[in-house]
Amino acid sequence: MLDLRIPSGLFFFIAGLVLVIVGVTQFPHAPMTEANVDLYTGLVMVGFGAILLLLAKRGRPA
Amino acid sequence: MSTLHLTPVDYFILILYFAFVLGIGWRLRKTVTSSGAFLTAGHNVPVWITSLAFLAANLGAQEVVGMAASGAKYGIMTSHFYWIGAVPAMLFVGVFMMPFYYGSKARSVPEYLKMRFDEKTRGLNAITFAVMTLFSSGISMYALGKMFQLVLGWSFDASVLLSAVIVLAYTYLGGLTSAIYNEVLQFFLIVIGFSPLAILSVQRAGGWSGIQQRLPDVMTHAWRYIGNSSQNPMGVEAFGLVGGLGFVLSFGYWCTDFLVIQRAMAANSMSAARRTPVLAAFPKMIMPFVVILPGIAALALTKMGSGYSLPPKGAGYDYDQALTTLMAQFYPSGLLGVGLTALMASFMSGMAGNVTAFNTVFTYDIYQGYLRPRESDRHYLTVGRITTVVGIALSIATAYLAAQFNDIMDFLQLVFGFVNAPLFATFLLGMFWKRATGHGAFWGLLSGTGAAALTFCLSVAEGKGGSLAVLHNFPSQMAQNFWIAIFAFSACLLVSIAISLGTAPKSDTQLEGLVYGLTKMPHEEGVPWYLRPAPLALVVLGCLCFLNVIFL
Repeated sequence: MLDLRIPSGLFFFIAGLVLVIVGVTQFPHAPMTEANVDLYTGLVMVGFGAILLLLAKRGRPA
Repeated sequence: MSTLHLTPVDYFILILYFAFVLGIGWRLRKTVTSSGAFLTAGHNVPVWITSLAFLAANLGAQEVVGMAASGAKYGIMTSHFYWIGAVPAMLFVGVFMMPFYYGSKARSVPEYLKMRFDEKTRGLNAITFAVMTLFSSGISMYALGKMFQLVLGWSFDASVLLSAVIVLAYTYLGGLTSAIYNEVLQFFLIVIGFSPLAILSVQRAGGWSGIQQRLPDVMTHAWRYIGNSSQNPMGVEAFGLVGGLGFVLSFGYWCTDFLVIQRAMAANSMSAARRTPVLAAFPKMIMPFVVILPGIAALALTKMGSGYSLPPKGAGYDYDQALTTLMAQFYPSGLLGVGLTALMASFMSGMAGNVTAFNTVFTYDIYQGYLRPRESDRHYLTVGRITTVVGIALSIATAYLAAQFNDIMDFLQLVFGFVNAPLFATFLLGMFWKRATGHGAFWGLLSGTGAAALTFCLSVAEGKGGSLAVLHNFPSQMAQNFWIAIFAFSACLLVSIAISLGTAPKSDTQLEGLVYGLTKMPHEEGVPWYLRPAPLALVVLGCLCFLNVIFL
């Protein structure tokens, strides 16, 4: 059976990475916030994705 | 004229998500070897997955968008829909009812009714449920089409067809397993996609204390103004809220609706099935912070002249646009793609939930039950697959029906409410009173539905109802709904008991595994507390009390 942690982890890792790159290189602004929200959210997503992938790699039965 | 403007990076994230959803369906296609694997996931899914799917199948986009809207309209009282209106029922179904659902080996909730009561009770439940799931799936699609038309300027037809085709592809390929797996991905995405909005909007409104200063007290207190219906914007009072929403409606949904029960029944053991709703209650408790807070913040931002304002509508605001207009203000391109994908994901998980529940009930309870009872499993697998296609096609038709005739949809939702209101009484008696009979259950359900319709025709709320006479005037439609539920439940309970006492019950041997007292309860000696449903449920209850006290 497919281990769901692998595709979920990959999705968030890739999407997060894209956000981090956009945040660092372009720093797009939303009208009502000064923060680099793409960068921060991207980092959270990369972290979350990485945790899922690590858990799957350790092969702990879920 | 659209609210949100997408850039290539936003489209990339949306397309990436579609690719993963379809990929999961593709990878799971080989697990579908029997009708059981396709329709019930072969009782083979790990508990963390079933728990999150249990939650996500209910977390449709109307819920996400609607809860933000209610937050802006009613304030923190909206969280009663989670704290009072869901969590207690989720704990109850896990601790007390799952032993009978899972232990009976029934493949669906209507099938349980057949084993416990009789054929006609099952037929009534199966047919009304099948019709209702189709309509709710269609209404969800209609809402998606309208919303994407409004905020993105996409064509209604394209949005409806695109989402339908993708849901069809992954449920057709991998069946219930695929729907459940994707619901978990969708749940993660909903939380990650909407949390930044809650954080950013609340921060901009000056934090929770800033919101408290700017809004009337009634918007930031969940209980203080509930004693009298004239004091709070919902127009409900404590008994209607706790009895109608907290007991009848909430238990009726979470404890009997096959859409959610199906997720728990897919778990790989009795213990996992029982823990599914209990574990799901943890994130459920936290969801108000993700979906309701942005709505409250939107109202505060409007009041403080921050430059943001809820779009006006008539004399008030168009609350339904709270979520998307906030996204336009706080999400730069990139994150906007994530938020939008989360919205799309919530629509899809709602739709897939309905479709997978529909195909199981149709295949096992209607087709196998009444049309072609003795065919090979291969045959039912094919029927299940065809039903998936037909179900989605009918949902699309319903979406267009909703677009054409809004009144018909309002009327149907009203009727569905009447049908659902008494259900919990039937299950409560069925599981905990072995004397309850099939005749009692069937006529109890019909009387409950009748009592609901009668209550509606004899009372008035916001100009709705009262077609026979006006005996009572409710301050809000919500209050009317809660009281309709209370009357329906009571009528069903009383009529079921009366008729059961006058008709012959099933013998004890026929009821083994179906009723309390005749079912071996699972042994839990030596199992650590965190793997047992009851102690976990107590932890949830503790957290629940804590949350209610904070927002008293």
